[in-house]
Amino acid sequence: MSWYQMHRAVYDWVRAGEVNSGDGGDGRAGFDIGAYELSDEERKAFDNQDIAAFYNLGLHEVLLNRYARAAGFARDDYRKLLEPFGQQEERRARWQR
Amino acid sequence: MAEIVLAYCASHAPMMSSARMAAPEEQRTNFFGALDHIREEAVERGVQACVVLSNEHYTNFFLENFPQLCIGLGEKNWGPTEEWLPIDKVWVPGHAGLANHIARHTLDAGFDPAFSHQLELDHGIMTVYYELDHSMKIPLVPIVQNCAVPPLVPVRRAYEFGKALGDAIRSYPGLQRVAVIGAGGLSHWIGNPRVGDIAEDFDRWFLERLERGELDQVLDIPDDELELAGNGAHEIRSWLAVAGAVDPVRPRTLAYEPVYPWITGMAVAEWDTQPDRQQTSATVEAQDSRREESLT
Repeated sequence: MSWYQMHRAVYDWVRAGEVNSGDGGDGRAGFDIGAYELSDEERKAFDNQDIAAFYNLGLHEVLLNRYARAAGFARDDYRKLLEPFGQQEERRARWQR
Repeated sequence: MAEIVLAYCASHAPMMSSARMAAPEEQRTNFFGALDHIREEAVERGVQACVVLSNEHYTNFFLENFPQLCIGLGEKNWGPTEEWLPIDKVWVPGHAGLANHIARHTLDAGFDPAFSHQLELDHGIMTVYYELDHSMKIPLVPIVQNCAVPPLVPVRRAYEFGKALGDAIRSYPGLQRVAVIGAGGLSHWIGNPRVGDIAEDFDRWFLERLERGELDQVLDIPDDELELAGNGAHEIRSWLAVAGAVDPVRPRTLAYEPVYPWITGMAVAEWDTQPDRQQTSATVEAQDSRREESLT
């Protein structure tokens, strides 16, 4: 697994489509994922826009959120995809005591 | 010297702009009503520039170089970057004089903020800034904080930076009336199986601690405990920086609404830094009423 390269690829893809000060936001068309050293799993996740796979590969949650939004997933949709991986939280915080 | 004439914090869920009508009407009215009130105050008080603190959401920085704090020194900054956020994409005027003064002062005070002469502003700053000034003309000094990518500065450190920030603003000779604003929080989860949950108990506890000035319990929270209110709860660093900037003034909660369609505990709180300012009784009554409704 190439954790950094996966993050770099997702980040670059998200940013390529944003309306930033440098370009008009159409950079996702023709985005070259081959320029990144990804494992087969990572490449597959990118090709399939597989939110659950990215989550399980350890993509940072803030970046995953940005990716999901940019890829057209509503939060309700991606929650359904991620729910199976949720774990019961047993700890209690100071505001719960 | 400049005076902090307006100090407040507000949540910055992007859906407050992109899915505004998805929120129940009463929640929408209360939340935006508080921001309308703030906007009117900004006009009444003649705010000349604002300093806005918010989380960095992988917009300006990536893993090669991820500062804990970055002050926007430029004459202008661009935003919002998100193509889907329905706020006009504009060059937002900066205030280089104030920004450089803040950088110099906070460096001298023992902090090490990065700086940028051109930042891209995402929903974190733009949603709240837009509600302050729909024309997006008020000069804005952005300060982006790392509230997302570990390791994070301790919560207490964010508060202490706020103290230095407040001192910096109050020692700036180039303006008279400045607003300091925190944008972010409260509880929310993103990018994980709990997206959509809201920790209302945390939100109410946090707002009450702020109002009572009982900050020690908040400032001592380790990140793994704060995470129990969601990975977005780390954004209370922006709120605590504002609390530090205007210490010992305590805030009043103008609105708190757990807006599930926006997946976020949405709050607005204001620190009245000008208690001797003339207020009409109607204004005070409206604030009291909003506060009581929010905390019940």
